[in-house]
Amino acid sequence: MSHYIPPTHETDPDPLQGRSALIKGDPSFAEITEAVARPIEMPHKRWILFFLPALALLSLLPISLGWLFWEGIGVWGNNVPIGWGWPIINFVFWVGIGHAGTLISAVLFLFRQKWRTSINRGAEAMTIFAVICALIFPGVHVGRVWAAYWLGPVPNQMEMWVNFRSPLLWDVFAVSTYFTVSSLFWYVGLIPDLATMRDRSKTTIRRMAYGFLAMGWRGSHRHWVNYESAYLLLAAMATPLVLSVHSIVSFDFAVSNLPGWHTTIFPPYFVAGAIFSGFGMVLTLMIPLRVWFKLEHIITIKHLENMAKIILLTGSIVGYAYSLEFFIAWYSGNEYEAFLFQNRAFGPYAWGYWIMMSCNVITPQFIWFKKVRTNPKALFVLSIFVNIGMWFERFVIVVSSLHHDFLPSSWDYFSPTIWDVTLFLGSFGLFFTLFLLFLRYLPLIAIAEVKSVMPRANPHFVDPDKKPASRDHHASHGEVSAKSEPEPEPEPEPEPEPEPEASKDEPEAKEEAEPEPEPEPEASKDEPEAKEDAKDASESDDTPEAEASSEDHAEDADADEDADEDEKEEEAEKLLFSPPPSDKTDAKKDGKDNG
Amino acid sequence: MSAHGHDEPVVRPEQVNIADSSMWKKIPMIAGAIGIIALAGAFGLKGEHDEGFYFSYLTSTMFWLALSLGGLFFVLVQHAARAGWSIVVRRIAENMALTLPMMGLLILPVVFLGAHDLFHWTHAEAVASDPMLTWKEPYLNETSFRIRAVVYIVVWSLFGIFYWHKSTSQDSATGKSILDNSHKMRWAAPLGIAVFALSLTFSAFDWLMSLDPHWFSTIFGAYYFSGAVVSTHAFIALIVILLHRSGYLRGVVTKEHFHDLGKMMFGFTVFWAYMAFSQYMLIWYATIPEETEWFSYRGAGDYLALSIVLVFARFVFPFLGLISRHIKRNPKTLAFWAVWILVAEFIDMFWLIDPVGPHNAGNHHPAIEFGLVDILCFVGIGGLWLAVMTWGLSRKALVPVNDPRLAESVHFENF
Amino acid sequence: MGKRPKSFGLLAEYETPGDLYHACEQVRDAGYAAWDAYTPFPVHGLEKAMGLRASLVPWIVCVMGFTGAALGFLMQYWMAAVDYPLIIAAKPLNSYPAFVPITFEPGILFGAFGAVFGMLGLNKLPQLYHSLFNSKNFARVTDDRFFIAIEARDPRYHTEDTTKFLEETGALSVEEVED
Repeated sequence: MSHYIPPTHETDPDPLQGRSALIKGDPSFAEITEAVARPIEMPHKRWILFFLPALALLSLLPISLGWLFWEGIGVWGNNVPIGWGWPIINFVFWVGIGHAGTLISAVLFLFRQKWRTSINRGAEAMTIFAVICALIFPGVHVGRVWAAYWLGPVPNQMEMWVNFRSPLLWDVFAVSTYFTVSSLFWYVGLIPDLATMRDRSKTTIRRMAYGFLAMGWRGSHRHWVNYESAYLLLAAMATPLVLSVHSIVSFDFAVSNLPGWHTTIFPPYFVAGAIFSGFGMVLTLMIPLRVWFKLEHIITIKHLENMAKIILLTGSIVGYAYSLEFFIAWYSGNEYEAFLFQNRAFGPYAWGYWIMMSCNVITPQFIWFKKVRTNPKALFVLSIFVNIGMWFERFVIVVSSLHHDFLPSSWDYFSPTIWDVTLFLGSFGLFFTLFLLFLRYLPLIAIAEVKSVMPRANPHFVDPDKKPASRDHHASHGEVSAKSEPEPEPEPEPEPEPEPEASKDEPEAKEEAEPEPEPEPEASKDEPEAKEDAKDASESDDTPEAEASSEDHAEDADADEDADEDEKEEEAEKLLFSPPPSDKTDAKKDGKDNG
Repeated sequence: MSAHGHDEPVVRPEQVNIADSSMWKKIPMIAGAIGIIALAGAFGLKGEHDEGFYFSYLTSTMFWLALSLGGLFFVLVQHAARAGWSIVVRRIAENMALTLPMMGLLILPVVFLGAHDLFHWTHAEAVASDPMLTWKEPYLNETSFRIRAVVYIVVWSLFGIFYWHKSTSQDSATGKSILDNSHKMRWAAPLGIAVFALSLTFSAFDWLMSLDPHWFSTIFGAYYFSGAVVSTHAFIALIVILLHRSGYLRGVVTKEHFHDLGKMMFGFTVFWAYMAFSQYMLIWYATIPEETEWFSYRGAGDYLALSIVLVFARFVFPFLGLISRHIKRNPKTLAFWAVWILVAEFIDMFWLIDPVGPHNAGNHHPAIEFGLVDILCFVGIGGLWLAVMTWGLSRKALVPVNDPRLAESVHFENF
Repeated sequence: MGKRPKSFGLLAEYETPGDLYHACEQVRDAGYAAWDAYTPFPVHGLEKAMGLRASLVPWIVCVMGFTGAALGFLMQYWMAAVDYPLIIAAKPLNSYPAFVPITFEPGILFGAFGAVFGMLGLNKLPQLYHSLFNSKNFARVTDDRFFIAIEARDPRYHTEDTTKFLEETGALSVEEVED
């Protein structure tokens, strides 16, 4: 495969034979820059259409906070048994959403999932903004906000320190570390793209602004070496960090003795749930954006499909955890635990429980169907359900465990007040406002990273339109390059002539692209269907997308796709069939055809 | 890298086929013989009233079963995720999973003969006098316990044989059936993972957690799983290193693959620590008597030392030892850590099972009991396990030679 | 002759990563020391073609990470067990299982600082002005062009010879950049 033959729609390989292109249409580097940077330089008119409503929503935030500070937390619906109401629910909800960004960036990076490059920037931005939204709630729910600094390790007036044995304090450290590291990770990733924006700037102000932020980045390869090392290490550290943050959030509940909260599966189960909700939110944001920004060749159906599979995987892990909780609640022989779970499913909050179950466990099962997971509209609807379901998961955990506690005389029902609702809506306003500002001023796609996973970024790429012979004089360097062999994934192979290998590599011809593999550690971890997601047979498909430039056409495209797919498969059999070493001749011919 | 000449195949037959004269061809016989003798010796030493015997037997069974299940999991995940790098080591994992039917047979004595010695809840009088056990009886009763065991065994065996068969028959397939095999393996993988997750969890509940029938932990299945996966990667690395020493797989499984296996060992070591810490910390913190009891007798007597050893052997040392990429890429150092991890897995199984043994009943200073029977059980079951595994290894190619993406895997490089 | 004091060096422009890669091998083999390649994205394996050594960032991260973790634990131990010892929830003064989260988090935090600031420090960034920015063509380095600059301070640098050498490596253009 070093003799790379660029993938085209017709020759997308069978997924078991090779890898299809991540980016559709084989654009040049300049076209990628252009596609990403253009919308920032000439903003979409529709932008303001979205920005104004977001601002309006945001205005609810200062109003509800102002009233809260003036009046105290009595304005919320929290009551005696249910001391943790909406603020904690919303905190966990937002922090959960904040996990997909770093997960996409870090975990998928470590697993060489190159498809991440199209979505990681937006997802990271989403992470940061979601964490900011999350931080509001613990910040204000202490009531006396002016004493919020007591959350830090400072002695009080009695010279007594904070309680390090409290999981609420661990949260302070975990979430603030997570926020800091995610921001650094995002910024480091942005540096080369800021330099791109600087060099494209037409006005002095833009040049100064982007130039300042880019810190004089000039693409030096000596810099890239340190940069890549730092990026890899940040990814390696961010991965356990993601896990730790939501585990610590789960400790808030699980260290207690409360039925429904105290169970050992909580940490991995919360992490899976966080990833689940995070990917749900990424889909919710990316599906419309790829259409409005005309980025469908960069964020392809394939990307959506891969994310859908992760949703299926994590949704199933969450389902596994729900069932185990139920089983062990009974198996433990603890009658309080058993009562609680019965009460959850059939008590006064049964409606919440069944919303949660249907959104989180049942909805994702539709992703098993290829028709669903390759249809952006269906995925969009599905992702909304995931967001709703995950909010209700936290609602069920918090409220159902608290409302019937050990003292039946204090049992009560929880109802939110208008101020609970406005604060929550206000946090959405903040989230969308920040996200829209990000869209307006910063590149949504990691330009440099996308370029680096394109086939032509490989120094051993042979452009089929050019005579490979032109580089024969480098043959002498073959040795060296064989050793160094760069290249995204595969192989060595110094010499440039395409044909010989073609046969063997043919399959991989399209190497490059895609999802690579690997199991994800944690995910896999436990279980469940883990990789189911992993694509089933189908796969390759990579979708048609090319033509479908707008949502309206998307449906047609899907229809076509199926047809295409069949055809493709047949073709694949015909064309790519030469099994490895055997008949070379056919393969050779194919190679030429492609070229 | 001369293998990339124009007409050469991705792998040469002598790299991936064990020669008739090789020691590897003899291992199945030798290991099998040793295994049978050792196991016979173990049963011989058991005598009439050795209630501790099945604890030793279960420890070794769960250790080797972890490798079989881990092998199956590895195969399933690689197919499901369509991994490229792992194709060259997948056959080894397939052979590990091939041992599942035999491990199923070896588990049967535990289920049918040893259950009374092992599981307190199988005694009717104990159940009657203990309201907790009475409560649990719908799950913890011998009939359903046996049925579940048979179900696990059948399901695992089917998957183990399915993947081994599909993959090895692909080696000699031609034309369209090559792809068909790949498609079928891939198609079954997500399903397999779902089934695997449930069966592994409940088998760990049945065979390990219910040794102390009062205790419960929702994460327990994931705990056993995490140990199994880390050991599996270690074992694969070890086998490849041994095959390299015999001259096989050189240039096929490269440093790059060692690096990845090492990363997985490192990652799952941390993952195990995460599981273990989650379980321990939450129980320690909440201090609910029926949960802490399980840890309290592992913190008493000899077991305190063993618990500390476990933390260091299973997490601290391998974590520090496997950080460096040079260690992961060097077969010698990687082999050292692979062996280390396997030893740690055994300590873990011992730590889970031995404290409940009869020698500690009512003992306020519980003591470790490890003797000849333990060794014989380990060697016996291990011998049979290795016999099946190496039988598969030496009969078929060492890599799936017809996998359409084999070249990608051979030429794979880390960044 | 050769060096004019005002010159930063020569800048050669290439069209594809492959051209750059092979050119780098030649520059490396010709024995130049003060030179660098400039690319819009990290070209895979280029460090080998350039003969660069591995980055020092991992060492910085390692030291910082372990320092952060140690500080995190010591802080908790000192505050909870030494400076104001207080039994809470029947937990021992040194409740190390409960101290794990805040041992881990500062470890990661410091490690991340080490990675980012270590990288910036090793790269001597921020550096808002650089001589290469004087070249018009160089603006495309963040878009789709690949460059090699051999600096005038290199002992082997010789304006004409080096220009000729660079042209032979397949450069699209070679220009002299002012300092």
